[in-house]
Amino acid sequence: MRPHYPIATHRLDNGLRVVISTDHSVPTVAVNLWVGVGSRHEQPGRTGLAHLFEHLMFQGSANVAEGEHFSALLAQGAQLNATTWVDRTNYFEVVPTGALELALWLEADRQGRLLPALTQENLDNQRDVVKEEKRQRYDNVPYGTAYAELTALVFPEGHPYHHTTIGSMEDLDAASLTDVRDFYTRHYRPDNTVVTLVGDVEPESGFALVAKYFDELENPAGAGDEVLAPPLPPLSDRPRFERTGDVPSDRLYLGFRLPVGGTQDFVRADLSFDVLAGLATSRLYRRLVRREQMVTHVSRNAGARVDGTSMGALVVDVADGVPVEQVEDVVGEELRRLATEPPTESEMAAVVADVERWWLQSLAQPDERADVISGNTLLYDDPEHLNTYLDEVVAVSSEDIAKSADTLLDPASAATVVYRREGK
Amino acid sequence: MVQPRPSVPLASPWEFPVATEHLLSNGMRVLLYHRPGQHITSTRLLVPSPIAVEPRALEGVAMMVARTMDEGTRSHTADEMAELFELSGIAYGAGYGARGLTLETDATATRSAQAWALITECLQEPAFPEEEVSRHVRQRLAEIEHEAASPDARAAKEWAATFYDQASRAARPAGGSADTVSLVHSADCARFHAQWVRPDRATVVVAGELDEARTLRDLDATLGSWQTEGAAPEDDSLAAVVVDAPTRVRFVHRPGAVQTEIYLGSFGPDRTVEGGWAPYPALGFALGGSPGARLDAVLREEKGYTYGFRAAFRPRDVGGTFIVSGSVRSDVTVEATALTLEILDAARGGFTAEETRAATDYIGKTAPARYATADAVADEALMLQAVGLGTDFVSSYLAQLATLTPDDLDAAWATWADEPRTIVLVGDAEAHADGIRALGIGEVTVVD
Repeated sequence: MRPHYPIATHRLDNGLRVVISTDHSVPTVAVNLWVGVGSRHEQPGRTGLAHLFEHLMFQGSANVAEGEHFSALLAQGAQLNATTWVDRTNYFEVVPTGALELALWLEADRQGRLLPALTQENLDNQRDVVKEEKRQRYDNVPYGTAYAELTALVFPEGHPYHHTTIGSMEDLDAASLTDVRDFYTRHYRPDNTVVTLVGDVEPESGFALVAKYFDELENPAGAGDEVLAPPLPPLSDRPRFERTGDVPSDRLYLGFRLPVGGTQDFVRADLSFDVLAGLATSRLYRRLVRREQMVTHVSRNAGARVDGTSMGALVVDVADGVPVEQVEDVVGEELRRLATEPPTESEMAAVVADVERWWLQSLAQPDERADVISGNTLLYDDPEHLNTYLDEVVAVSSEDIAKSADTLLDPASAATVVYRREGK
Repeated sequence: MVQPRPSVPLASPWEFPVATEHLLSNGMRVLLYHRPGQHITSTRLLVPSPIAVEPRALEGVAMMVARTMDEGTRSHTADEMAELFELSGIAYGAGYGARGLTLETDATATRSAQAWALITECLQEPAFPEEEVSRHVRQRLAEIEHEAASPDARAAKEWAATFYDQASRAARPAGGSADTVSLVHSADCARFHAQWVRPDRATVVVAGELDEARTLRDLDATLGSWQTEGAAPEDDSLAAVVVDAPTRVRFVHRPGAVQTEIYLGSFGPDRTVEGGWAPYPALGFALGGSPGARLDAVLREEKGYTYGFRAAFRPRDVGGTFIVSGSVRSDVTVEATALTLEILDAARGGFTAEETRAATDYIGKTAPARYATADAVADEALMLQAVGLGTDFVSSYLAQLATLTPDDLDAAWATWADEPRTIVLVGDAEAHADGIRALGIGEVTVVD
């Protein structure tokens, strides 16, 4: 089945794009903003700044006290947060219908008038919080830095995606108030932002409310037109990183360069990963986990990126006593086999059925629907993506998958990271 | 010109959706939640045999049963079963918790009858092939090592092992330990399944856009056909007995760790507590539910020691716990532990009207959004079913929540504030155990 959520779009004079999808089934509105700034916009020596900045957006603005953004919305029954990734920073809250206007007022204040509230004390405090976030999520857990190591192999030094969103401790320490102010002025602009409302609001009244609070925001001078990077060719030098340490089992990561997001080529590559490792009936799972039992777990991860090249990865937990190299050989065999033996009808049917179910299930949540709309509007100018994505998936043939595997997923095009358990 | 801050009108009252209740021909209870506009139908099934019924030497067998029921039946091989689920895009999962076996499926509405047919097959005629059981045993053993390496999972395990009496099941991981899981074979799974996985007291919850008559017909033709022989056995194994001991500290040594995980807890109420349940989620929110809550206001926003602390009362079916957890920079381990305890002790001084209102507003007003989807409704219904409550519990505690005063919060806190604490730290004990001892909060034991 296909979703057909209503979509209404509007653009304010200052360039802010607004999308509204009405749904009266719950007395709430999901408010979702995507700002076109992520870690790919960071300068050398200032990695982690986009994410650190996101934290500062909760520390008060011209008319909102420190911590008040959170407390004022929580008290109205809002669920709210923000996240930062390579291409964007998103800010979101689900509010009872009556609190929509308050949410828009609070968002407009920090999106347009943050600088008067920015202090050295807030910067220092949130820098400490972010450093603890880095320790908790990356430095103090097994394999915590593997993804950063893999990403650095897939994208060359100097490429916008070479470094991670969390950044380095040194760069976080180096961030100054001036850096933070310049970053805000350069990137936080209505013409670089999408506001999406999903839920208990009609398009006309929603557009009027957004205009009431966001019309007065201006675009500071100084941001030029951005040039996106050209696509990178598949890797050819077999980059490899190995680490032996205190991890519970050997683990293998393979990373690949994939087509830019927003294209049918990316959808094909994404589904190729599903055929390999997305399901219990997928080729690698069936052979390595179920049949030959050389690994205890295999997973896949492919994420669309806007700046020329996306990335996909396979993650394999190697069973006790099995040499990592043997697993690498079998994975390589299966990657090559996908190019020469296209998926069967039932392999394709399973992948399509799985995508259909998870896509519909995630869109059932108004906040997720709003996030999909914001993202595809900001990065790919495609607000209807939530309604058309399943058509793109169904249009992929098994020959497409084989071709995608042939051009992108050759084992010689992989970046490899291996973690070995100490004392084995 | 900047617009003035808008005021917010009162939200309209909200109640949890009401189920229609039915019985299938084999005695299984059915709860149907019709949710118009939901494209996915969520099914949750509970077989209420508490995990405490497992044989002590084979702990983990119940979870192995849950994980291998779909790995081959008398009619289909493991691969065929996986294909049958996945060709229909049915997400299937099964697990075993304190209160019993749970199965769940999520599927588009047109495929939900197929999902029920498949889980009926898993329940009625699982084959437990030895090669599939042994594969899952090895996967579970790998999982145990991964859990031991993760600071929060390691802390939670050590906490339960210290807080609960060793005679009770809750002292040990639900999925079993390496020395017991490694003994589980096909015959053990088959025996446990035959004894304890039965339809007579089971409940199935279905939420989605439902045609009630057709749903019941399809359920009766599938789950309603599940039969077992003989009477259900009885069991009086101890589930969760708390050790009678003063406050104590277990420090799990991680040489050179850059952070210390702090995990502390004490005995608390269950949902049927005298005075009502509503004050407890409010207390959890006020202490550790947001960046403005008491713990994070100091440890995160003032000191910058942590990414965040959480506090919550966690009810079991009988009794419960109050748990506080978070991780801090290694060099402030002692100070952060002391501050955490100071903040909790200061709660005896009372909660303000503003804190009370913030907590009750948040919990009450987020309810419509938290239960907006079919899967969230089904999850909540099943979880309450497992402790013998219906979803009218949600509406009734939300109604009580709206009436709470600071005195109610203070009284609820006072009831449990003197319970001795079990405190687990996972971090560099060589560097910090002496500092923790010097706090004088209780006996400190260092473990590996």
